Amino acid sequence: MPVPFEALIPYAIIVTMFGVTGAGLSAIKTAQNGGKKARWSLDTWDRQMMDRDRRLTGWLRGQTDAADAPYGFEYNNPWRVEKRFS
Amino acid sequence: MASRIPQFNQQVLYDTTPLPDSIPKVKELGASSAPLMSAAYFIGARCRDYNDDFMQCKNENPGKGEFECLKEGRRVTRCARSVIADINKSCLEEFRKHWTCLEDNNQQLWQCRPAEWKLNKCVFENLGLKKEIPDQPPNVTPVHLRKQMIYAHWPIPRSAEPFVPPTQTGDNNKAPAAASSSS
Repeated sequence: MPVPFEALIPYAIIVTMFGVTGAGLSAIKTAQNGGKKARWSLDTWDRQMMDRDRRLTGWLRGQTDAADAPYGFEYNNPWRVEKRFS
Repeated sequence: MASRIPQFNQQVLYDTTPLPDSIPKVKELGASSAPLMSAAYFIGARCRDYNDDFMQCKNENPGKGEFECLKEGRRVTRCARSVIADINKSCLEEFRKHWTCLEDNNQQLWQCRPAEWKLNKCVFENLGLKKEIPDQPPNVTPVHLRKQMIYAHWPIPRSAEPFVPPTQTGDNNKAPAAASSSS
C-alpha cells in the first residue's frame, strides 16, 4: 500500500526548522569571523594574541605576515582604566 | 604590572609618550598570531638562546621584569624579526598556505600537516632551519612526522610525504628506521 506521506509532513517541518536554524547560525558565525571558521576553546593566551591581531590589522581575525609592524603599533596598546570605588 | 585583568573598565588610556632616547629603538614584529604559530619552531631553532635568556631574566626579576629585561627583549624581537623576514623572502607561498590553513582550523597544528611538511622542506632548503620538538621520546616517530593524525578533521592524503630533514651522524633528531606505527 502507498506510503502515508501526509503523516510524515510534520517530521519534514521539524527537520527543516532545525536545518534553518543550524544553517543560519553557521552563516552568522562565519560572517562574524570574516569568512573563516570560528575559533573555539580559547584561553587567555589566545585572547591576548587575538587582541594583538586587532591592534595590528584592525579586526579581530585579521592576519598579516609582515616583518615590520605598522606605524603606531608601539603606541596603540591601551591602559584599561577603572574607576575607583570609594 | 599586568597583575590582574581589569574588571568593569569603561575607559582606555592611550599613552603615546615615546621611550627615552637612551633606549635603543627596535622595530616591532608585524606578524600576527597565525604566521607566528606557523613559524614558531623556526624562530625557536634560530633564537633559542635569546629566548632562554629573556625567560631567565623574567624569572629572576619577578614583578619588575618589564623594566629589567628590556635588553633581552630587544634581542628576542630582533631575532624573531629576522626569521620572519627571511621566510618572507624565500618561502612566502608555502608560508602563506600554511598559516591560512592554520587560521581556518583554530590554529591547531595537527590539522595542517601536509602544508607544514612543504613549508619545512622549503625552509630547510633555503634557510637551514629545522623544526624540532624538544624532549620527544626516542624510538617513536615525532608527532609532526606521522602520516596519521588521530584528531584531525580530514585524513592526510596518501600523496603527502612528511619531510624528514637529512641528519648528520650523531644527531638525535632522527626518525628511526624501525618506528613503531602510531595509531
